Amino acid sequence: MSAASLTPKQALAIYRDMVRIHACDEQIQLSLRAGHLQFQYYPCGGQEAIPAAVYSVLQPEDQVVTTYRVVHDIIAKGASMREVMAEMYGRSTGTSKGKGGPMHLADPQSGVMVTTGIVGAGMPIANGLALAAQFRGTGQVVVVSFGDGAANIGAFNESLNLAAVWQLPVIFLCQNNAYAEYTSFADSTRSAAIADRAAGYGVVGVTVDGASPDAMRQAAADAVARARRGEGPTLLECKTQRLQGHAFGSTEEHMDQDVLAAGRARTPIHQFRARLIAEYGIAESTLQEIEKAAEAEVQDALLFAEESPEPGADDLYTDIYADVSVVPDSGTAWRTPPPPAPPTGTPRQLMTCQAIADALDVAMANDPDVFLMGEDIQDPAGGVLKTTYGLSTKHGLDRVRPTPISEQAIVGAAIGAALAGMRPVAEIMVCDFTLVCMDQLLNHAAKLRYMSGGRTTVPLVIRTATAGNVGSFGAQHSQSLEAMFAHVPGLKIVAASNAYDAKGLLLSCIYDPDPCIFLEAARVHFVPGMVPEGDYRIPLGQAAVPRAGTDISIISYSWGVPEALGAAAALAESGISAEVIDLRTLVPLDWPTIAASVARTRRALIVHPAVEFCGFGAELAARLQEQFFGHLLAPVGRLGARYTPIGFNQGLDSMHFPNAAGITARARALVGG
Amino acid sequence: MAKITLKIPKLAVSMQEGTILEWFVATGDTIERGQKIYSIESEKSVLEVESPFAGSIRLLAETGTTMKVGTPIAEIIS
Repeated sequence: MSAASLTPKQALAIYRDMVRIHACDEQIQLSLRAGHLQFQYYPCGGQEAIPAAVYSVLQPEDQVVTTYRVVHDIIAKGASMREVMAEMYGRSTGTSKGKGGPMHLADPQSGVMVTTGIVGAGMPIANGLALAAQFRGTGQVVVVSFGDGAANIGAFNESLNLAAVWQLPVIFLCQNNAYAEYTSFADSTRSAAIADRAAGYGVVGVTVDGASPDAMRQAAADAVARARRGEGPTLLECKTQRLQGHAFGSTEEHMDQDVLAAGRARTPIHQFRARLIAEYGIAESTLQEIEKAAEAEVQDALLFAEESPEPGADDLYTDIYADVSVVPDSGTAWRTPPPPAPPTGTPRQLMTCQAIADALDVAMANDPDVFLMGEDIQDPAGGVLKTTYGLSTKHGLDRVRPTPISEQAIVGAAIGAALAGMRPVAEIMVCDFTLVCMDQLLNHAAKLRYMSGGRTTVPLVIRTATAGNVGSFGAQHSQSLEAMFAHVPGLKIVAASNAYDAKGLLLSCIYDPDPCIFLEAARVHFVPGMVPEGDYRIPLGQAAVPRAGTDISIISYSWGVPEALGAAAALAESGISAEVIDLRTLVPLDWPTIAASVARTRRALIVHPAVEFCGFGAELAARLQEQFFGHLLAPVGRLGARYTPIGFNQGLDSMHFPNAAGITARARALVGG
Repeated sequence: MAKITLKIPKLAVSMQEGTILEWFVATGDTIERGQKIYSIESEKSVLEVESPFAGSIRLLAETGTTMKVGTPIAEIIS
């Protein structure tokens, strides 16, 4: 690559960014070394040229997803040095109001949409941003930056493949610095180059010298042009050298000391500076001005950060959900939403699975930003449980997108598209499979609003089936995992028990500003109910009381509700009046309805199909005991599934789950009848 | 004008405390960014620490005392 491939203006712009990055990185390390700052920091020394050159071909509206070795990336993309530095200080003027910190810088204004602390996790999300750009025809390109270590993570495989299948405008930028934390590249793979793997996905792969701005700019320009022409992704590998240990203060003993010393003596900045003088004829004084300006910019940013306020108690519960009162312990009382106006559409008898498809159909007809993704959701299958039957025929395969069997890629694509403002509804076939994409769900969908200080939001829906007590599915296709989701702040959790609620709740989820997990009980999929035509919504956080009673409150959700109703009917025969509460949503939790009921009945039994031990019922029971200890006539009862995997044998399966007879017996014991 | 507090730094993951061996500056001195201001001994080694900031320094800690990471040792007024 000849030096002439860059104009002097381009070369100086790249050098300016390299110097600004270096000044920022140096200042942070100086402050850490002097005890002025103290946090886990991943220096970028040696890698400055990569984003400086690669991002120089991007437009401001192009987007970047990056990883925790981030300072070079975020500065090169155009984030404010002041806000970056303030975030390092944990100040409320930082990019993420001090909530994200150095591992989670986000600056949507400059196009840095996500910085993840999870190796490899940015790639699925970048696909989603690129998918939104493709859908909307914006011409935007998305670059996802990651290290060589991330190329050995499963998400890499899923993401490269999906990006290739959908020809997404995304550039996979591998900054290969020869170490995955403390383990060398040679010890991590037998691939000579990460880019060699691209061929396996039908993707263009290019390896360039990470110290050569000319080569990187040219390769990036080619990749961007390919993406904008609609020819899909590129895997661009920039081979570079990490000029320090993994993190500030971490050992460098695992690194080749001679190579390290040689690299430090001749950094990419040194090399490029010498070339700017020798090959471009740029005056020494011009370079010194750039260097001085960078130092001044960093000093200004440091002072700005130093004088900025820290987040306070008022900020503790904000930016978790759009509405702070969703947070169960925020101290802001959750108010049960008022019941909506009754739907005006003509009611028809539909099975729950048809009601779900109906909700999806209505949303897609209403809003071009709504689209579906998932395995086997297209016709003629229409989903393994028929919840999307007919939709691809009606709305097309662009909007009802079948995916490879790649759960991380599916959820990541939904997250990215949601970050871009679309309203994706992704299906994870059964709840058990969410366990292979929990990182995307719990570390990303749930937390991106918070980690960005509210600057990004993830209005997606994940639909997933909880099987159970339908027979023959066994231990890995039948679990109810809502307690896991409920344990991580940031998700809303919905579990409908009937066809009418399923449609109204799903429509609410689709238009909700927060990520929603929509749990569909296979047990009620084929149970019919009266479902109005058209759009109607059931607000999240509004429990239903399908049966009123005075002696005991049976609190349940999902397919526990029909069992509880069966028990209530049996109890009535022996003179016990049981009230049944259908929570419908677990987060937000309609505590006012629960509390009002138990205050009246003075007895409570919580029923759910999930395992009882450490289940959602434990939380409800604890809260009830705290609020009603002296008022209760009996200890709060819980009846969940037994603490066993779900057995294949129908008898074992039945013994595992609670049922109407068991609920009746427990309720009778609590009432003392 | 900003006041920056310097503390016993955490120079390695396992570092819990450190001892200032020598101050190279005195209270009231005007110091430059990058100027060596003190030497510190931790479990592994002795390091000479540079100032992250220019300004007027006030020392808060004496030499020879072992202090926990995070203990304030100086202020720089810029």
